[in-house]
Amino acid sequence: MKLLSFNLRDKFGDWWDSSSLLQRTIFRVVLIGIFFALPLINNPIIDTPETSFESVLFYPLIMFAIMAVGLNVVVGKSGILDLGYVAFFAIGAYTQAMFGIYTDLSFWIVLLLGMGFAMIAGVILGIPALRLRGDYLAIITLGFGEIVRIVAVNTEAIGGASGLSDIPPPPNINFLEFSVQETRSYYWLSLVLFLVLILGIVRLGNRKPGRAWEAIREDEDVASFMGVATFKYKLWAFVIGGAIGGMAGVIYASQVLSIQPELFTLNLSIMILACVVFGGMGNIWGVIFGAVLLGYLPEKLRFLSDIRILIFGLLMVVMMNIRPNGLIPRKKREKISEKLK
Amino acid sequence: MSQVLLDIENITVKFGGVTALNNVMMQVKNNEIAALIGPNGAGKTTVFNIITGYYQPNEGNFKLDGQTLLGKKPHQIARSGLARTFQNIRLFGDMTALENVQTAADGLNKSGLVGSLFGVTRSRKDEKQSKETAHELLDFIGLDHRAGQLARNLPYGDQRRLEIARALALKPKVLLLDEPAAGFNPQEKNDLGALIRKIRDKGNSVLLIEHDMSLVMDVSDRVMVLDFGNKIADGTPKEVQNDQRVIDAYLGVVENDS
Amino acid sequence: MDFSVLTSEFVSLTFDGIVVGAIYALVALGYTLVYGVLRLINFAHSEIFMIGTMTCYGVTLLLNIAADTDPLSPQVFIIVFTLIIVTAAVASGLAAVTLEFVAYRRLRVMRASRLSSLISAIGASFFLTELFRLLTDSKNIAFPRLIDKEPVLVISSAYITLDKILVLLGASVLFIVLNRLINHTKLGLGIRAVSQDENTAVLMGVNVNRVVSMTFLVGGVLAGAGSAFYMAFYETTKANVGFLVGVSAFTAAVLGGIGNVKGALVGSFALGLIQQYSSAVLGYNWRDVVTFIILVLVLLVKPTGLLGEALQRARV
Repeated sequence: MKLLSFNLRDKFGDWWDSSSLLQRTIFRVVLIGIFFALPLINNPIIDTPETSFESVLFYPLIMFAIMAVGLNVVVGKSGILDLGYVAFFAIGAYTQAMFGIYTDLSFWIVLLLGMGFAMIAGVILGIPALRLRGDYLAIITLGFGEIVRIVAVNTEAIGGASGLSDIPPPPNINFLEFSVQETRSYYWLSLVLFLVLILGIVRLGNRKPGRAWEAIREDEDVASFMGVATFKYKLWAFVIGGAIGGMAGVIYASQVLSIQPELFTLNLSIMILACVVFGGMGNIWGVIFGAVLLGYLPEKLRFLSDIRILIFGLLMVVMMNIRPNGLIPRKKREKISEKLK
Repeated sequence: MSQVLLDIENITVKFGGVTALNNVMMQVKNNEIAALIGPNGAGKTTVFNIITGYYQPNEGNFKLDGQTLLGKKPHQIARSGLARTFQNIRLFGDMTALENVQTAADGLNKSGLVGSLFGVTRSRKDEKQSKETAHELLDFIGLDHRAGQLARNLPYGDQRRLEIARALALKPKVLLLDEPAAGFNPQEKNDLGALIRKIRDKGNSVLLIEHDMSLVMDVSDRVMVLDFGNKIADGTPKEVQNDQRVIDAYLGVVENDS
Repeated sequence: MDFSVLTSEFVSLTFDGIVVGAIYALVALGYTLVYGVLRLINFAHSEIFMIGTMTCYGVTLLLNIAADTDPLSPQVFIIVFTLIIVTAAVASGLAAVTLEFVAYRRLRVMRASRLSSLISAIGASFFLTELFRLLTDSKNIAFPRLIDKEPVLVISSAYITLDKILVLLGASVLFIVLNRLINHTKLGLGIRAVSQDENTAVLMGVNVNRVVSMTFLVGGVLAGAGSAFYMAFYETTKANVGFLVGVSAFTAAVLGGIGNVKGALVGSFALGLIQQYSSAVLGYNWRDVVTFIILVLVLLVKPTGLLGEALQRARV
């Protein structure tokens, strides 16, 4: 299995390096096309029992993928262990719920608001918490996640334990109708946003911020000796991760139409963490792969779904002990051909 | 014209009950290779830790090119012109050699996150610039052919040199080398000496901590000796070698075989 | 917010706070000992406690003591409870040693990053919680009332019942034993040496692997004993009981100064009192928020805790 994934990655990498811009573009277009076409495929091989494949595509697949990419910036790239990521998801969801039910603001504005609130939360949590290292930071983030949930349960103004219902769906865009039955529209909307997201994250990763984050993960003290403004970058990672989580939350709430605090548990934070860990800490493609796998398999193999968390837990222990870098590690392929022209 | 670049004034550092540095004064001038020697535990690395902003001294001050650096954070000090290497190699292991150097080179430009994301002109220019600088430095140190290799896969000697290249990317006024020759054979030490001289000739001053006496005496313009947190000598290599206090504390009789 | 309850029930709240604090202390010691030796937060320690509670229940099943039977006579109670506490202590102790071996040992030997160890710990915690959730079918487990809970003594507002006395006495005995262990035995010396400086301890001939295993064992045994007292006092458990008790115990350890044994005790009693007082004033359902807030505050304001050791900084 190990050799297989390494070989695949390297073979693909070799092909990618040697291919022309046209070939790469065609590859990308085809791949994206396949993902868009997924809800239209009606094939028993990929179908999931119990829940419709379409709905699984939306949740957990693309939702997990989006959140995993967000958490990856924090945990995978920067090495900041965040155990309370679900809090950002919750903030986004509650923003959509509150503003959707009580105001007339357009969905897109609420989307930005949700991301904004999540970012603010990231700053509020990050400024004090990021002064700490490792375990202590992890504990604080866990505490934060739990505090958000318990406050939500105990605050009647935002629905208390029974939550909020009758959350409006997004407005119809051209021919795309957003209704309870048609989850595919939500999936497509998320997919588009996801692609934009990936563009941004990959770009950041290849440039100064990406290097700064990785340096922080590798050796935070030395990074600062080498001129990296570590606190600033850690805070940015946190805030960006939060914004992405918030975005997912807004879209999610607009689809499920009613939310309760029990949806936003520590378990969910751990599941997203498992995606990041499993797929390949720091490697965005590995993380997406991890999210897809860990989202899809428990649905496909229904007997797995009940023991899903059991498997996640076991996976995390096994992964860390055997392949601490995940299935598709972020280890870069050595490019011997890099030379100054 | 000789001018003082790094000015360390009366630094005292206490850790709990232990006085690591006691009223230490030293200077590094421009175009100079200075060495800091002394027995283990004398406080040499502590000096580096203080002037790079990792610890705050209990008393004292230090300036670089007239600018007071006391109280500044490590990354600010790095950008002001003091860059260091480490006793135990501390590279960014899972990043390539190029990326290691580029990260430091990045420290000198002001591009921020938003700029990088939206690909503004300055950001793209800075990106190109830091990459070129990194390649040049790798070339200077003789490692450009390994630019794409992961730092942790490099052989030991190359790793030590990569650390130096990385520190140089910050265009330091004074380069701080912490035991750069550890684990080297005589040939490698000679090469290192030549490299240090090349660095000085390019315009950076060097302050090095080293235990290998022949390298120190061979390459340094000036030698300073620490013993139990006190500076006990400061002069040319010859002067220091013959200083009785230094011989008693540290050197014994030095075999000069160059 | 009702402050009048605080004044009228002060003695009762204080007494209960100390009892609860004693139980927390037995669990907190496990966190602090492991942290001292490994600089690792054993996330799954809460599940070691939970396993202890389940073992207590298991013993009552084996002895055919159903949840609704009458309390036992004192003599029978002593025998039964001794059996329960010893079994639970052994079970938790063994579980802890196994946990270390399976989830942490390899990472320590490979000198893996702290992140890896933490993630492995979290995975183990989740695995164990889920395992027992499935085994118990997510139900609450009711524990029989083994001892009559009529108050033996009433001081002001405090109802002093036999189970509370049991907890206080039992915990005190264990603290004394632990103190002997840490300060007057070779193992204790080893634990203190490895906590101070692992490399030097190795050079001095300390078998670090053994010390680590034994530390987990001691922590597990204490947690197991604590679980028996917990069951006598609260008479219920469930698969995720580890989480809330663990958070409280962990907060207590941090509050007192993680890695510091005395600190674990001080922090536990302090937290027990704070929880009782705040529950009285704010209402019971805010208790956990208060605990989390204390945890976050301590970590932000004084991460070394009340009695704490200095936070290690990596030497450059």
